[in-house]
Amino acid sequence: MTKLRTLSSGFDWRAAKIDWPVTTDVGPGLAGVVAAETRVMWLDPSSGELAYRGVAVDSLAGRADFEEVAHLLIAGKGPGNDPRGLAEFRRQVRSSRALPRDVIELIGALDPDTHPTRMLRAGVSAVGCHELTVDDDLSGERQWRELRVVGQTAALVSAICHHRAGSEPSEAEPGCSLAEGMLAALNDRPPTADEVRALDLLWVLSAAHGLDPPTFTSMIVASCLADPYYNIVAGLSALRGPKTGGAAETVLDQLLPLRDPFEAEAWVARTLADGGVIAGFGHHAYRMPDPRVVVLRKEAASMARAHGRRELFEVARTVEVAATRALAPRGVYINVNFYGALLFNLLGAEPPLVPCLIAIGRMAGTAALVREALDGIRLYRPLSRYVGPAERRFESDGTS
Amino acid sequence: MIGSSPIIAEQRYGRGLEDLVAGDTAISEIDGRAGRLLYRGYPIEDLVGRVSFEETAYLVLFGEMPDDSQLENWSAELERWRDPPQAALDALRSVPRNAHPLAQFRTMMTVAACHIPEPENTELDAQWRRPARILSWTAALAARAIRHLEGADLVPPRDDLGYAANFLHQATGRTSSTEETTAFEASLVVQAEHGLHAAAFAALVVISTGADLGSAVLAGMGALSGARHGGANQLAFEMLEQLNGPGTARQWAREALARRLRFPGFGHRVYKCPDPRVRALEPYAEALLDANGDGRLWNTYLALREEIEGALGAKGIFANVDSITGLIYHPIGLPVSAFPIPFCLAIQTGWMAHCLEYLPDGKVIAPGAVYIDPTA
Repeated sequence: MTKLRTLSSGFDWRAAKIDWPVTTDVGPGLAGVVAAETRVMWLDPSSGELAYRGVAVDSLAGRADFEEVAHLLIAGKGPGNDPRGLAEFRRQVRSSRALPRDVIELIGALDPDTHPTRMLRAGVSAVGCHELTVDDDLSGERQWRELRVVGQTAALVSAICHHRAGSEPSEAEPGCSLAEGMLAALNDRPPTADEVRALDLLWVLSAAHGLDPPTFTSMIVASCLADPYYNIVAGLSALRGPKTGGAAETVLDQLLPLRDPFEAEAWVARTLADGGVIAGFGHHAYRMPDPRVVVLRKEAASMARAHGRRELFEVARTVEVAATRALAPRGVYINVNFYGALLFNLLGAEPPLVPCLIAIGRMAGTAALVREALDGIRLYRPLSRYVGPAERRFESDGTS
Repeated sequence: MIGSSPIIAEQRYGRGLEDLVAGDTAISEIDGRAGRLLYRGYPIEDLVGRVSFEETAYLVLFGEMPDDSQLENWSAELERWRDPPQAALDALRSVPRNAHPLAQFRTMMTVAACHIPEPENTELDAQWRRPARILSWTAALAARAIRHLEGADLVPPRDDLGYAANFLHQATGRTSSTEETTAFEASLVVQAEHGLHAAAFAALVVISTGADLGSAVLAGMGALSGARHGGANQLAFEMLEQLNGPGTARQWAREALARRLRFPGFGHRVYKCPDPRVRALEPYAEALLDANGDGRLWNTYLALREEIEGALGAKGIFANVDSITGLIYHPIGLPVSAFPIPFCLAIQTGWMAHCLEYLPDGKVIAPGAVYIDPTA
């Protein structure tokens, strides 16, 4: 029997194997609970160290594009190790962007002001109806393995961009990468090489990050052997919550109205004095700045320069410094959403689109975790402790 | 209540969080050794056949049996939401006919969710409105999905019918008999809540992120749609239907037992004894099948259950609720592929109750994953 002190800093969430049943610490929000064993990803919540298939994310960021990293996650083969497999994978994931006409029309019939995450859920659901019929293998092994779900979701987000802008839906060129296609839909023009690199970076950094609520939701749904599209609808439902991906949208809602660093400084002071929340700060588990912030801050700075929006970056930087000064002593630090959201916005995404864009990146890791688990996954079914009324009789006249 | 209520700080549990006590709840008590299920302190045997689904839902959601005026208001609120957005009903035109009924249902729900006002206002009645809207919209959308399978249009709701009878009316396009309605209602009552099963747990993870109740329910539906969860009553019925009478059932069961096959509708993570929901529903199923001249199917079920429980009961494997509900839904005239739908309609009540109970705590649910290090 394994006994793990999971909430002590001495435990780094790596092991040669787990002997079930396991005894662990159990904290609020199920912190410390071992809910999965995986070879896909390693996250140590006490250091923020993150690796995909044993490759440190630092060494992937800015060097590998999203498709390479998605292939690494799903197939376990690093860039350079399997060039033919990677080429085939690129072809598959890119070609899965062709959407049925009915689905485009379903999105087109929705009010363009509907929150994009809700439109995306409806679109994913409709795509699933076309992709898997009653006669198909509903486990969706192929849809996960070939990451068709990622290509389809990217295409849906593009269609939603066009619908919001009132422009004609257009399909991505079959040869262009997922990042190129998405940027073209966001900005209605061909992207620059720097923009493509930045979006790839964002997706690489958001591809997997432990069992956060959207990922854990997907694991639970997968354990019931649901089809991938039900699974994604469930994951998207969690992603938009204000305490997860929804916070990225709030970051922009807070930053964009601030006109200059002076206003930013005053806003932070006022918000904190009123007991308000600075979005992009704080994490339910970590008591340190997210290590991914460093590269995102740098990228946001250079993208802001390139797009003539230095003022926005200065505002963000001011908020970061002021909020860190006030919050770090309480153990509250900057998280990935802060500069992540800013960079998505600099690449052309309006605030409500940001959770959808995060979802595309995250789905690569989720797909890898789900696919890995499908073989032997056990239904998630914890217990609760009853603390309600003692047994009572029901009399049919309605009194008790 | 997973968030802030006292948590047992060190626990032993298995894969799938088996035996982990995730938190406290005042909604239902499940005794897996004695085979008992109580909603807010009331044993389900006391409720089934005596209260409506509306009363059960009120009890599960809000903690007490409604008095007359509370029940009147709650029923009126449920009735108010019987017409889902037209766009959601129309969404079926955009999906192929051979998509799974649950996937069609999902598409309508995701479109309906686009029509829930945002941000949801905080008026006093919102606490009632949100669950009532979800319960009633989903019933109408489910009925639409079932009618669509038969190539028919949805018939309008009827003001004089309660939740269960109106659903049957809309799903079958005809007026059901009292016996059918009573049996169907009983199936909703005993399936209205069942602790932190996978779907309820998924809903709770979603609500813990601050997402809305509709999103939590969609996640629950996702879990429930899986073959291992809500889909099990369909598989259990299909197994039964292929067996031609009690004799064949016994023989097939013995062979299957010898080959150590698993039987859909048998065995439960929590109950290691007869499932109280099965015992509560059996009389209704028997009566309906008898009335339909389908006593043979009933006897086939009994034979199969006796064989399997006789062989595996000592290991704690008994018929679970999924083995019996099909024997109510089939004589009522629901298509087999739609069997998971009534389960969805009933059990979402419990998910919403858990979500409403959880909300004040608010801690994000995020357990960990151990990296199995090939180099370690």
